[in-house]
Amino acid sequence: MKRTATPKLGAYAALTGVGLVAALVLGRPELVALAAPFAVVLLFGLSLERTPNVDVFLDLLGAERALQGETVEAELELRSDRDAGHVQVLVDLPNGLVAESPNPQLLRLEANVRRTVELAIHCRDWGGYLPGRFVLREQDAFGLLVHETAIERREPLKVYPRAEELRRLLRPVETRAFAGTQVPRARGEGIEFADLRPFVAGDRVRRINWRATARRGEPWVTETHPDRNSDVVIFIDTFLEARSEDEGTLDRAVGAAASLVEHYLGEKDRVGFVAFGGVTNWLTASSGIVQVYRILDSLLDAEIFMSYAWKDIDLIPVRALPPHALVIALSPLLDERAVRSLLDLRARGYDLTVIEVSPVPFASPGRSELDRLAYRLWLLRREALRSRYLRLGVPVVEWRDDVSLQVALEEVRRFKRHARVARV
Amino acid sequence: MLALAAGGLLWLCLGLVTRWSAALATGVVFLGAEQAVRLAAGPGTVDAWTPAYAACLLFSTELAWWSVEPRVASWWEPAVVISRIAAIVGMCAAAAVVAALVVLAAGAPLRGGIGLELVGVAAAFAALAVVAGLARVRVG
Repeated sequence: MKRTATPKLGAYAALTGVGLVAALVLGRPELVALAAPFAVVLLFGLSLERTPNVDVFLDLLGAERALQGETVEAELELRSDRDAGHVQVLVDLPNGLVAESPNPQLLRLEANVRRTVELAIHCRDWGGYLPGRFVLREQDAFGLLVHETAIERREPLKVYPRAEELRRLLRPVETRAFAGTQVPRARGEGIEFADLRPFVAGDRVRRINWRATARRGEPWVTETHPDRNSDVVIFIDTFLEARSEDEGTLDRAVGAAASLVEHYLGEKDRVGFVAFGGVTNWLTASSGIVQVYRILDSLLDAEIFMSYAWKDIDLIPVRALPPHALVIALSPLLDERAVRSLLDLRARGYDLTVIEVSPVPFASPGRSELDRLAYRLWLLRREALRSRYLRLGVPVVEWRDDVSLQVALEEVRRFKRHARVARV
Repeated sequence: MLALAAGGLLWLCLGLVTRWSAALATGVVFLGAEQAVRLAAGPGTVDAWTPAYAACLLFSTELAWWSVEPRVASWWEPAVVISRIAAIVGMCAAAAVVAALVVLAAGAPLRGGIGLELVGVAAAFAALAVVAGLARVRVG
């Protein structure tokens, strides 16, 4: 522990000295009596002082994972090898975690008695954290010396982004041959009604539609759509982000990605993940609850890493982008490399959807006329970029912070309903 | 005397408002000086009220320093405050006893002289040296 003197120590020493010297100069013993208490405080305070050995642990009570916005109940365990009447303990939480309980706390510790203090930690932002850095400050009983130390007993805590409720998801153009909950345009064994047609040799009797058969006087059968699943790849642009103090486009993109991943995997689709930016990270498409946590863990690692290296889509392994997969790109469309890569994906025949996490709310028009002109030009350029995507048949929707993700998805659905095939 | 007392209170108030230790110490020195002037202007006998004044001076000084201690907005438990108040009261009681002993010693019927003066000077400097030495050892 680092030991430092408080201003009181110097002041009491000075008062003692002044009192004794004044008593000698003036020849009045009463001044010694006035100075003596200060000297006694100093003598006792400094003689009885012992450096305490305080230890502290953080117990997250098994809560290694939490959702954004949740509160984790934790416990602080403190122990001192001697009585410490004035211990300040500060839990130095990482940015993104906020203490809901009072922090720091001023406590009294008895010798060799374990003391437990409850601490509520609010998970404000998603991310992987290692809370458990403490700053301890112990003051002796006379207030003359302060012992200060920092202790690290870090515990991992993963805070996953909170998934938004989605009613309808985007459907891919192509489905896979495996069972799922999607209805393709093709006909086959399933339960979704597709059409009626005359009976031909080889049709199963159970497929005969008896009502249609009775009306037409010849056997007719019901055709159905099979139930299929599909491949979906969530593509996050991590080249650049627009950011304010407590929120940025990457935060919104990660939140949206978490929602999409959970819902697509809930519908038995195979979902892959690509974080494309300064550091490129990917997960091949798979299904199941394990894949949810794999992708969520990868999302926690998503961060903006400044890089000037030119990167294109060839960096991503072919396995990470299955053919005919629906690629949902979440990007602020701020970096030319990401813009080009998305166009490249479209040129390679992927069913691409771009959800533009709008950086506009994070930019202000400026005060001067020149700033406002530049701002308007920037908006026009963004409009032109969106038009370019739309001309190529890529649905692109500007997702602002005042609307839900579902609204953005519905805009894409509306576009796809009237879209035509474009040759790139 | 009134001016010294007023000056002492003013410095104490300044120290409390600005959380400035040096101002508090100056205020205490002013209050001690006021007492010194009172004693110098009074009769030559030892003042019997000095222990009470010494205890009150230490009490006000302790409270003043408690007020300007560096603190953050923190939660504190009652046991901390109770133990602190007990420590201050104990210190003031001990201060009164020590001051009374000093006053009793001062009132003892001893014949003065240059030898006794020198012993007093040596004791004063020895006390300061002990305090300084302890502080140096403890603070490092």
